[in-house]
Amino acid sequence: MFKKILLPTILIILSYGFWISPNFKEISSGIAIFLFGMLSLEEGFRAFSGGILEQILQKSTDKLYKSIGFGIITTTIMQSSSLVSVLTISFLGAGLIGLTQGIGIILGANIGTTSGAWLMATFGLKVKISAYAMPMLVFGVIFIFQKNKQLKGIGYILSGLGFLFLGISYMKEGFEALKNAVDLSSFAIGGFSGLLIFIGIGILATIIMQSSHATIVIILAALSVGQITYENALALTIGANIGTTITAIIGSLSSNIDGKRLAAAHFIFNMITAVIAVVILHQMIYVVDIFSGLVGIGGDNHTLKLAVFDTLFKVMGVVIFLPFIAKLVKFLESTFKEDIIKSGIDTVRYLNDSVLELPATSLAAIIRETKHLYDNTFEIICQGLNLKEKNIASTISISEVIKDSYSDEPVDIEEYYENRIKGIYSEIVSFATKAQASMTPSDIDILYKIKLANRDLVEALKATKHLQKNLLKYTKSTNVNIKEQYDIIRKNLAELLRNMNIIATTDEDHIKMVLLSKIKVTIEKQDVLTNGTIDTLIRNSLITNTMASSLMNDSYYAYEIGKNLVAMAEVIFMDVRHFTAGVGMSSEDVKEITERKG
Amino acid sequence: MGMKKFFKQVKHLLGLEDFIESEKKKKSIKELLSKLHARKREIKELLKSKLSKKERHELKDELEIISFHIKNGKKILAELYAKK
Repeated sequence: MFKKILLPTILIILSYGFWISPNFKEISSGIAIFLFGMLSLEEGFRAFSGGILEQILQKSTDKLYKSIGFGIITTTIMQSSSLVSVLTISFLGAGLIGLTQGIGIILGANIGTTSGAWLMATFGLKVKISAYAMPMLVFGVIFIFQKNKQLKGIGYILSGLGFLFLGISYMKEGFEALKNAVDLSSFAIGGFSGLLIFIGIGILATIIMQSSHATIVIILAALSVGQITYENALALTIGANIGTTITAIIGSLSSNIDGKRLAAAHFIFNMITAVIAVVILHQMIYVVDIFSGLVGIGGDNHTLKLAVFDTLFKVMGVVIFLPFIAKLVKFLESTFKEDIIKSGIDTVRYLNDSVLELPATSLAAIIRETKHLYDNTFEIICQGLNLKEKNIASTISISEVIKDSYSDEPVDIEEYYENRIKGIYSEIVSFATKAQASMTPSDIDILYKIKLANRDLVEALKATKHLQKNLLKYTKSTNVNIKEQYDIIRKNLAELLRNMNIIATTDEDHIKMVLLSKIKVTIEKQDVLTNGTIDTLIRNSLITNTMASSLMNDSYYAYEIGKNLVAMAEVIFMDVRHFTAGVGMSSEDVKEITERKG
Repeated sequence: MGMKKFFKQVKHLLGLEDFIESEKKKKSIKELLSKLHARKREIKELLKSKLSKKERHELKDELEIISFHIKNGKKILAELYAKK
């Protein structure tokens, strides 16, 4: 309801303002041009986020101090903490960085945004920057029309900066002209109530404009012409810092649990910093005065002093929070828990719109989601074969593993498939289709292999479902010969699952490679039709014809489980881009070994 | 021309693209081969000790697979050096 009336209300207020005051129109158009410049700048930097940015992000965020440094530098260069936040949420969602690193980047980005206030206070208000805007816009637009992605990016960056400068100029001129008509400073409110009211205005302005950067630029423009008092400007700055977290919270609603945790961390950090700043505001003003005096900023230069305050305020917040980051991460992880299984239905964990921002993160997220699907499939296969997953993962002997049954009743694999596989599988396929739109041909090739790996998992599960019925029936049979054969199938599968578990959990490529080859050779030898077992049993009338046909089919299903799991593991657990891929065993190699063994 | 394209063209002109790719491949295979050789030596040592029939059989199977991988790896490595 509120959302529905918000936009028309804003439009009506603005229209009325334009009608009664041309100066208000000039200031508003300045804000609009400034915001458009920010959007254009973001678009420009996005053109470069196809590789270099990801590589830097991954390499420069392994330590907390590096994450903070990364946040400061990138936000200073890009002049947009929101783009840095979007990239951070995207990397976090894809599991490429941890929550601690994500928080580090956000803290750094907070400090990085102060560069905007410095630029505006030192350069923007003293020089006629609109003179620089025009050539930037002209060159920018020429570059935007080029086909080359990088040139287009440069075009967007140049025109973005041009619009930013033009917007600042309009705002400045608007406030100057407004001063002759109305003296806004006469509305200044002193005392604690004034502080709270202006903090509220700062929050509201930032929520409406979706940018604390823009709010601070307006504050500086108004302050430079004396339309607001220094004290009220400080309160507005504190408010802008709170408002920006609300924008991030709204943005995180569509992201996964990590995005929500990060937005919550941002909110907690900025909120507590704001409360501290309000409590010690007079002391902070005192420190700002001392610092300004030391670096030669005049006592009446309120715009530069505001930039000093903004920096001091944000650096102070980071310093206060640094010792508590580990505790904050722990708190967020326990407060925002993943809804892994809601009423028995499992859903995707890593696929969301935030990771679609970059091809690298979308590919990483699809691989992680496939591993999630593998975990579910592995668990269901274990249960379907009446084996305990914890025993498979342990070091107890395989004969003991098969003795310790999961349940006397058969598990409903179809129900498990509906609740824990189908939804995730279809989401992966649909997400992969969306993601490939922005991928290179080589990435699309990898994506295709990952899609096949997902299908292999589903096929392995289907084979388990077919096998389950007879497996339960004949392992309890009074015919010792058929019982023995089904016990062997179960034992072989338990062995296979144990090896798969090692492959899924080890980091050593040579171990994975050897185990995968071992499984390939073993499953080829285990087919009862090719190894002659079935002929011996029929010839000696040890099993009935029905038993023989069941055994023949089920041996094939067991082979299918192994074959599909191996095919999946070669893509998901061995690095698909790995240079050593050719060293692995081909089907011809497997055939050669099995034939050699006779 | 974008920086990325510029570097790509320079690398292409100097024939560095294949060189870099091939060097990375060689390094990975060499690392893998050294680990496989280490495991091979380990298995050979184990086979000298007293083992059950089943354990001996499993180790021999693994040794055969490792030898196969080493053979494949050496073949690829030789091809890479031959290209040079």
